[in-house]
Amino acid sequence: MSLIGPSSRKGGQKSGARRNENNRIYAHPLPLVCPAPAPGHILGLFGLSTARLENPHCEGVFDPATRSVWITNEKDSTILWRRGFFGKGDLSRSEPSWLARQVNTRKAAGKYMTSEEVREKRRAERRQFKLDRAAAIARAAAEAEAAFAEGREAAPALIPSGATWKPSATSDAPSLPEPPAEEEDDAELDEEEEPLENVEHLQLTLQETWFLVWNLDCLTVLDSQTHEPLTLQQIWRAVQDVHCIPRDLPVYVDRFDNPFLVNYAAYHYYRALGWIVKGGIKFCVDYLLYKRGPVFHHAEFAVVVIPVYEDPADQESSPFNLPNANTFSWTWLSTVNRVNSQVQKTLILTYVTIPARSRISPELLSSPACLAHYTVRDVVLRRFIPARMRD
Amino acid sequence: MDDTLEMPTAAPKPDVPQENEEENSSGDEDQGPDWTKIPGLPAARPVIPKRGEKDFEPTAQGGSGLQKHVLDRSRSAMLDALKGTRTIAHKSVSHGIWYPGLARAHVTVARGIHFSTMGHSVARPSTSSEDARKVQKRLELLPEEALYLVERGAMFCWKPTDLSLRPSAHLDDMEGVPMSAQQAYAEMIGSCDLTSEKYQVYAYLRRLGYVVTRAKPPTSDYPIPPPHPTTARTQVSILGRLYNAMSCLLARMARVFTGSLDWWQPIRRNGWLHHHINNTSLFKSLRFLPSGHSAPLHIQHTPEIPPSPYQVFYHLYKPSTPFKKTAPPPPDFSVVVVNARASPMPTISELTALFGELPVLPPPVPRKRVSFAQQKVAAASSKAPTNPLSKTLPASELSLGRRVITWVWPWAATKAETPARPPNPFPSLKMGNKTVVIAAVDAGTISFFRFGQGVFTEWPMV
Repeated sequence: MSLIGPSSRKGGQKSGARRNENNRIYAHPLPLVCPAPAPGHILGLFGLSTARLENPHCEGVFDPATRSVWITNEKDSTILWRRGFFGKGDLSRSEPSWLARQVNTRKAAGKYMTSEEVREKRRAERRQFKLDRAAAIARAAAEAEAAFAEGREAAPALIPSGATWKPSATSDAPSLPEPPAEEEDDAELDEEEEPLENVEHLQLTLQETWFLVWNLDCLTVLDSQTHEPLTLQQIWRAVQDVHCIPRDLPVYVDRFDNPFLVNYAAYHYYRALGWIVKGGIKFCVDYLLYKRGPVFHHAEFAVVVIPVYEDPADQESSPFNLPNANTFSWTWLSTVNRVNSQVQKTLILTYVTIPARSRISPELLSSPACLAHYTVRDVVLRRFIPARMRD
Repeated sequence: MDDTLEMPTAAPKPDVPQENEEENSSGDEDQGPDWTKIPGLPAARPVIPKRGEKDFEPTAQGGSGLQKHVLDRSRSAMLDALKGTRTIAHKSVSHGIWYPGLARAHVTVARGIHFSTMGHSVARPSTSSEDARKVQKRLELLPEEALYLVERGAMFCWKPTDLSLRPSAHLDDMEGVPMSAQQAYAEMIGSCDLTSEKYQVYAYLRRLGYVVTRAKPPTSDYPIPPPHPTTARTQVSILGRLYNAMSCLLARMARVFTGSLDWWQPIRRNGWLHHHINNTSLFKSLRFLPSGHSAPLHIQHTPEIPPSPYQVFYHLYKPSTPFKKTAPPPPDFSVVVVNARASPMPTISELTALFGELPVLPPPVPRKRVSFAQQKVAAASSKAPTNPLSKTLPASELSLGRRVITWVWPWAATKAETPARPPNPFPSLKMGNKTVVIAAVDAGTISFFRFGQGVFTEWPMV
């Protein structure tokens, strides 16, 4: 479980070794594991095989209040995270690493720094650097002022930059000691303190849940009250009903623009193309696309899902008020694009068309067959800077 | 999932010039000019701090003499630069006559290099009385071209008048009254579809050295580039259609044997004998929902919809593109100009219509990874080694022949498997296969955006 163990966080480790380790841990892009082809088998000649996909059969509890599915089983959370980066730890930023971090903190116990402490130290140093730089600038300004008053040329001042600044030895942040990590001590400590219980769970979004349940059949979803497994039909209703509050109002009947359906169409589109799709709320967007996963690279693309009603009348009668469904202003576009180009991401406008109720029979909504009538198309957006495009 | 592909990193790459900063930094164009650097001003002046480093707040001791001095110096430099009389040599100024009825300026005296990329020749009935029937070719300017030349002091513009004018000594060949720059602005903007936004975009791009022409010819005399080759595309699309029809038929036949797609279980996993599944085929089987720009768009339009402002208005040629005025080449960019306050962002229908009239671009040429030393050598010999790699999509599945070979001689597999480095999908994904530039102008401030038709469906990651 300890994905962020102390061993993987030692400063001196080579990045190549880390990469190999990640390649091994995250070797499978989906929870289903494809069997290795059996060489020499006669069926292999025809590209056929009798080997089955290995299905992990995970289990989660549907929680309508948080619109998520909770994976409380540690083994299942690890599988879903490592094979395709599904879900998010509820006490972590992405990978469910709460327990590992707690264990690490206890084990460190002042002997070496945990990654959180390293981060705090870095932030403290950064703060100190900014203070030093501000002081240096103020000194230089005062010197220039004095020189101006005397009518002479001011000596060039030395302003520290991020590259040259070094924390002074008197800095109050603790320096990094060698990690001795003696086994006996650890054993003693563990006996003294009460054992840690993992209180974290992995939460899956409804899009992730439906993708795993419907396409891969590797997840069983339990009812939150009865803890009975839900059927596929029940899940299909449930993931849409969470957006209908209060439930069973007539306006919610036969809606192709249920937010779940619109978002699922976009989610499925990118997942099926092999992208790792994660939430993008921190960058003003709906989704972020990772090439292999967050542990390998930064996200390359930021996706804004833009619902498009085929029939404007459907939008007028809609109870949902979908975000971005109305034509938006250039101010909005500049805002989102500035944020994302600042973090080296390319903005993608993903238009999802919502089938018109006059064109497609609402009866199709009773099954996932309705998804065949949504279309997804992407438009890439970048700033165009004429001054730099002249060649 | 090939991690030998170029991986995106947040850190700037020293050996890959331009591309990233081109996209992400705002560049110099957002700042005002540094007036103290404008030539023609008194040369003996103190050096001012580097532009962009400002003191944002007064010092704690109150007003700063140095800051005030620096500010005053910059301010007076600006005022001096603006105060200076703009002059042009009599020998190098062009002359034109503005005909409001035609919305064209007739260039009577053409001087300078501007006319190699501006103006077009039009056959007009001769003005002289004796041969009124005779047709004469003459050089005419569109309003934005005339205004641009007047604005930068390269052309003197006249306006025909009915008043009888006293013949003047130097200007005896001129008819009409001289136009001021202000009058030119007032008269030319609004004629021949020219709005102030369109003029601002035109002037900005011209000043940067681009050749800017109208995309839709205002008259039949106006030279336009040849239409982009649609013949090749229709051929391809006929083949593509044939292929689609065949695969559709095959899929339907397969459906007959396997039963229709069960929407509660879209991916079949049962059966003891099946095609060997690997990650590629598993992901391929996941792509059963309609996607991409070729999927039909069933958007219903209300009849009273106003005409869309999203029409390609300008064609843009880079300064390096060889440009022949009478036979313009295909443009480097197509530009749409809108008022950012009056027009919201384009809808998908408007974008689809725009993309519909644009040519499909070839995938971007992969940059060669060259070290800095090699770059220097290349720059010294001034040879641009452009070697566009042929687009080779990774063979997703082994052919039957290859499989037979592998099965018969297992050791041959390693020898046969010497795949070329697969092309990097990211440049294509980031550019799209069709590109339109939209200039959103808000009270003189121009934001340019590049909208590309996405090709995610053509470049799956697995």
